[in-house]
Amino acid sequence: MRTTWLVEIMKRAQSGPFMKEKDFELALTKRIRELVKEYGIQYNPAVLVPADDDLADRVFQAGLQLFVEFGAYCQSTERCIRFSRDEVLELLAQAPAAVTLGTGKDAVVMRHRGVEDPTPTVMHSGPTGTPASERYHPLILLSCAQEPLVDCLGAGSVSTYLGETIIPGTPLEILGARRDAAVAREAVRMAGRPGMHINDVAVPLTCAGKMAACDPGSGLRPTDGILVSQMVELKTDFDQLSRVAHLYNIGGIRVDLMTPLLGGLGGRAEGTAVVSVADHLLGVALYDADYHMFSLTHLNYVNNTDPMGIWTQALVGQALARNTHIICLNDIYVMSGPGTKELLYECAAGAIVGTVCGFNMQGAGTTGGFKTDHTTGLEARFIAEVSRASLGLTRQDASALIPQIMPGYIGTLKNPNRGLPFPEVYDVTTVQPKEEWLALYYEVKEHLRQLGLRL
Amino acid sequence: MNIPDTIRERLAQALKEGDAEAAEAVALEALAAQVDPLALIQEVMIPTLEEVGVLFQEGEIFVPELLLTGEAAERVSQHLEKAIAAQGRATTSPGVIILGVVKGDIHDIGKNIVATMFRAHGFKVVDLGRDVTPSAFVEAAQTNQADLVGMSSLMTTTRPMIKNTIALFQELGLRSKYKIIVGGGCVTREWSELVGADGYAEDAAGAVELGKRLLNA
Repeated sequence: MRTTWLVEIMKRAQSGPFMKEKDFELALTKRIRELVKEYGIQYNPAVLVPADDDLADRVFQAGLQLFVEFGAYCQSTERCIRFSRDEVLELLAQAPAAVTLGTGKDAVVMRHRGVEDPTPTVMHSGPTGTPASERYHPLILLSCAQEPLVDCLGAGSVSTYLGETIIPGTPLEILGARRDAAVAREAVRMAGRPGMHINDVAVPLTCAGKMAACDPGSGLRPTDGILVSQMVELKTDFDQLSRVAHLYNIGGIRVDLMTPLLGGLGGRAEGTAVVSVADHLLGVALYDADYHMFSLTHLNYVNNTDPMGIWTQALVGQALARNTHIICLNDIYVMSGPGTKELLYECAAGAIVGTVCGFNMQGAGTTGGFKTDHTTGLEARFIAEVSRASLGLTRQDASALIPQIMPGYIGTLKNPNRGLPFPEVYDVTTVQPKEEWLALYYEVKEHLRQLGLRL
Repeated sequence: MNIPDTIRERLAQALKEGDAEAAEAVALEALAAQVDPLALIQEVMIPTLEEVGVLFQEGEIFVPELLLTGEAAERVSQHLEKAIAAQGRATTSPGVIILGVVKGDIHDIGKNIVATMFRAHGFKVVDLGRDVTPSAFVEAAQTNQADLVGMSSLMTTTRPMIKNTIALFQELGLRSKYKIIVGGGCVTREWSELVGADGYAEDAAGAVELGKRLLNA
């Protein structure tokens, strides 16, 4: 593996240019604006899924230039870890184009996907981005793992341990991490899919907590993944890099998590697309990621299904699909909750744009993460189905279809319908969706069929 | 001297556009022309920054515009405050606020926006950054003779540190000296009342309004 590269990164983290974080942010935001102009990148709300290869390539080049100029900001040392253009391109060339996730008959191969690629997407699910309670967490996980079209499971986050609030860096974080890993392991076993890839245990916020979740017997195995996070934008620290070191040593899957903010340092859709490409390059150069989880989040709406969010995903996906062979996952993050049609329409928009523009699937993070237990396996099933039905669509098809889906939720952007918690939409004994929730699912599915999707 | 219309318009425009160089040049030109620096702050800077804050709140502009306007305002303020001090007068800051993201939490973009908005409204902001211990909040409040203490947390796992920090103020007998306001992704009004905060704000503009209201109460 590449522990020698990690040694080099540590050197750069201690010797790179010193910058106060505020100065880094200000310089970054100014440069993004310049690059957007320089490369002629323009958001067009009338074409949410542009079919303009040159535009996608310009977004990539702008992102590459941004990353080469700024590198990664190390919060631990207040220094920039810089890479030359040649280094970035070489590291990109070395990055994996396919990765085996999970083990045995439950293993799946997740591949780089191209634009309008007929290759089916790999579907990740679980309560990722939505908090769960100790009581319902095992059932929520099972509801996702048992879905036939779900390939991988995210263990999500529970904020208490035996009722006591978990504080990061404390014994309760260690206990919570180990418990959640064991619960996820048990969920995939109960679903009859013991080798299914588990893509992280989200409760620990420290490297120690992540390490505690790793246990080949009852927790995470080397065929599972741990998230190595970036802080917005283009920032890292020693805790994150320590995760990389641990994953190198146990042979675990390194998952690069980025959460670029639409409306944040990148500004509007154009700048956010540019910095999102740069974020992916950070994941390649710094974390040597096996795959990349793109969790775009709107600053105000805390979702990524608004028009600018859809456009940004479309361009970032195409930019990376056309100019790299890295494996990308779009995290469908929605403002609505279970038991609502809005949630399903948001999921549909995210699944279509992601599938057509080169991503694999992850979802759904619901209610903007605001509501505990507001997440179920049914929306994961729906995303996977819509994704399958979107194979073969062109970007023009997607661009025509999504505006017809958006009226299903766009009116609630400022006042989202957060829906109902798990026990109100699922039978907690059989772990099956209740009739009312299923009825909405069938209704939206039928509507999408009428719009031309082969569901 | 009253503010000439051309100075008023050009300064407001430069601030809105986040053009620090242009804003600084207009401010220096105004000072050279004996324009009252306090009037420039009260009649041009604060209303313009409030206008920018409203645009941000309404989603018309985003963080970059806010940051650039903040930078321009800071550049202008340095000159104007110096000029006011040279006249032996005092600036009229509404108050001093300590801001930070609580221990264990490293998500600070929301807090940074809140800091910019408070600065825009003339507050003296002592920004402690992220991952701030309870004792650091207490020390900063005492050292800077703060009026307000604002703390935030994005995650449910770090939220208890808000409660712990308020508890430390209480234990040290300092609770009544400062108004404590809270916010962040996982914080709700109900929870803020439960932990004994003086107020909760859902967003940056709300935080400034809350701060002003508490200080005027």
